[in-house]
Amino acid sequence: MDALKHSRWVPVAAVALYVAIPVLCSIYYAVFPGGEFSLRAYSVITEDASLAAAATRTLTITVLTVITLVVTLVPALVAVHLWAPKLRPILEILCTLPLVVPPIAIAAGVMALLGMAARQGRGSVPNAISQFLQNPDLPLILVGTYVVLCLPFTFRSIDAGLRTIPLKAMVEGSAILGSSTFGTIFRVVIPNIRGSMLFSVFFAVALCFGEYSLAATLSQQTIPVWLDDVSSNNFRASVAIAVLLNMTTWGLLLVATLSAGRFAPAGRAARAEKKLQKKTTQKALAS
Amino acid sequence: MNATTPASNEVTLEGVSKAFGPTTVLQDLDLTIGAGELVTVLGPSGCGKTTALRILAGFEKPTDGRVLVGGRELTQVPPNRRGIGMVFQAYSLFPNMTVQDNVEYGLRVRKVDREKRRRTAQDMLEMCGLGEFALRFPAQLSGGQQQRVALARALATQPEVVLLDEPLSALDAIVRVQIREEIRRLQQQLGITTMFVTHDQEEALAIADRVAVLRGGVIEQIDVPRAVYQNPATEFVARFVGSVTELGAAADYQGGRLPVRAPGGDLDTLFIRPEDLTLVPEPDGDCTVVSQIYTGERTTIRASSQERDAEGNPLELITSVSAAEAADLTPGTRVSPYVMSSPALRVTAAERHVAEREAALEAGEGGLRAAGAASVQAGAAR
Repeated sequence: MDALKHSRWVPVAAVALYVAIPVLCSIYYAVFPGGEFSLRAYSVITEDASLAAAATRTLTITVLTVITLVVTLVPALVAVHLWAPKLRPILEILCTLPLVVPPIAIAAGVMALLGMAARQGRGSVPNAISQFLQNPDLPLILVGTYVVLCLPFTFRSIDAGLRTIPLKAMVEGSAILGSSTFGTIFRVVIPNIRGSMLFSVFFAVALCFGEYSLAATLSQQTIPVWLDDVSSNNFRASVAIAVLLNMTTWGLLLVATLSAGRFAPAGRAARAEKKLQKKTTQKALAS
Repeated sequence: MNATTPASNEVTLEGVSKAFGPTTVLQDLDLTIGAGELVTVLGPSGCGKTTALRILAGFEKPTDGRVLVGGRELTQVPPNRRGIGMVFQAYSLFPNMTVQDNVEYGLRVRKVDREKRRRTAQDMLEMCGLGEFALRFPAQLSGGQQQRVALARALATQPEVVLLDEPLSALDAIVRVQIREEIRRLQQQLGITTMFVTHDQEEALAIADRVAVLRGGVIEQIDVPRAVYQNPATEFVARFVGSVTELGAAADYQGGRLPVRAPGGDLDTLFIRPEDLTLVPEPDGDCTVVSQIYTGERTTIRASSQERDAEGNPLELITSVSAAEAADLTPGTRVSPYVMSSPALRVTAAERHVAEREAALEAGEGGLRAAGAASVQAGAAR
C-alpha cells in the first residue's frame, strides 16, 4: 500500500530529473570550468560588444512585439465580442493559421517576399521598404512575424478572458460615464482580464527570447542567433549565457504567475478585507 | 449642486421608432420628461421600454425620430458625449476598482484633478450612505450596497438627466423599497430629470411624478400615478396596473348591487378596482368566496361566480377588506357584488364592438386562422 502511494511520485521525479539534469549540467559546465568555481565564462558579457547589441536588439523586438500584440489583438477581440460575434470564428481561424503553417515555411515566405521587393532595384519603393524592414538596428520584419507567431496562443487566452467578464455591461457602464471605447479597453477591460494578459505577454516574451530559425534565416543577430555563432569558438560562454537566459525566462514566469494571483480582483478584495478587519480590531482594542 | 433646475434639461423623444430586422419594437413614440421630473416607464417584458431607455442613452440608434435633451438634438451623439447618468439592472460596477475609484471614474475620464475628484466621490458616497465602504471592492458589498454605489457613480458627474434601467429588480423586497425611496429623495433634492424603467407596477406608481404605460412599442397612457390607477385609459392599462375585476353590466347600470354577468353581447364592461367593489354575504348571492389572502393591513378576498364566460370559466372577483370584515367572508360564503363608487373604466358595448372590428381587420387572415386553430384545439380537448 505504502509502496503504491510512493510510486505515484515516480513519474513526477522522472520528469523533474529529465528537466533538471541538463540545466544542472549546463550550470556546472558554465561555472565550474576544470572543477573549480569561476564566473570567467560570463566575462563575455563585458568583452563581446556583439552580445550587448544582440541583447538590445532582442529586447527592442520583444517590447515592440508585446505592444503591437496588445494594441491590435485586444481591441479587435473586444470589438468582435461586442459588435460582431458572427465574425469571431473567422478571426479564430485567422489567428490559428500560424499554428498550421510551419515556422520555416513562414521564414521562407518572408524571405521570398523581401527578396522580391529588393529585386525591384535600388531606389525603388519596394526595395526601400524591404531595406527598412530588415534594418539590423530595428528589424521590424521580426516584430511583425513574431506577432503572427504569437497569435494562436494569445488569441485563445484573451478570448477566454473576455468570456469570463460581463464585457457588454462594463463597456456600456464606462461609455455612459464619458469614456471612449479605447479608454474603456485600457482602464476597465484589460485590468479585468489580467490573467490572460499576463499569459499573453509572458508567452510573447518567451517566444521573442527563444526564437532562432526565423532570425537566423533573415540573418538578424538576436540572442539565440548570437549563442549559435559564439558556440563555435567559445562554447562555454554560449552555455553560460544560455543558462542566464533560461533563468531570466523562468524568473519572468514566476513573476507573471505570482502577480496574476496578487492583482486578481478577488485577491485584492481579500487583502482589503483583511486590512479592514485589522483596523477594526485595533480600534476595538484601543477603546 | 444646483437645486433650481434650469428648463434646459427637458428630455424629449420625438416620433421615435425602432425596428430590429423585421420586428418593430417602438412605433412613433412621443415622450417628454419635464425638467426635474421623474417618469417611470412601465410595461410587460418585450414592450420596448428598455429599448426606449437605451435609445435615450445612445446605445441604440432609432430607426426614425429624434432625441432631444434641453432642446439639443442628441440622436447621432454617442453615449460617452451625452452627459447622461445611468444605473443598470446588473450594477455593472468595475470589479477591479474600489468603491471610491468606481465613483471617481466619470470624473477621471473628464480629467478633473485628483483632490476635487476625491472630495466629490466622498460627498456622493456620504449622500448614498456608503461613507465607510469607500475602500472596499464591489465583490465585498451586498446587492443593495452595490446598487447604491452605482447610483453614486452615476450622480458623481452631476448629470442633468439620469436613466434607471430596472435598477431594483435584482434586490430583495425590503432593500428594494429602501433604495427606491432613496432614489426619489436624491432625485428631488438634486432636481434631476429621470427616466425609470420597470416592470413592477407598484414601484412605478410609488416613485413617479408621471407613469407611462407602454405596450407593443406604443404608449397606452401617460399620466400621474393616481390617474393611471383610478382612470386607466385602456383595458390594457386597467389590467396591467393594479388588480381589477371585469364584469358585464347593463347600459343603464349606475351602481349598487350588480347582477353577475360575463362581459360581452350588448353589455358594457366594467373594470372595478378592489377598493370599489364590496362583496356582501347574501344567501342567494350569485358568487362564492374562494380564498382569503391575509397580507397584514388588508385581506384580499377572491370570489368566483356561477355565471360562466364565453370560454366556460367562472368570472373572478377581487376585493380587499379589513381583517374584521374578512371574518364574514370565509371561503364558501355566498356573496353578491356591490359597486360602491364609479368603476375605474367602463367600456360601452358600442366601443367594444368598434375595437373588436378593428382588431379583426388588423389581424386579418392570420387572426382568423388562429381563431380556427383555437376552436380545433377546444374541440380536441372535449
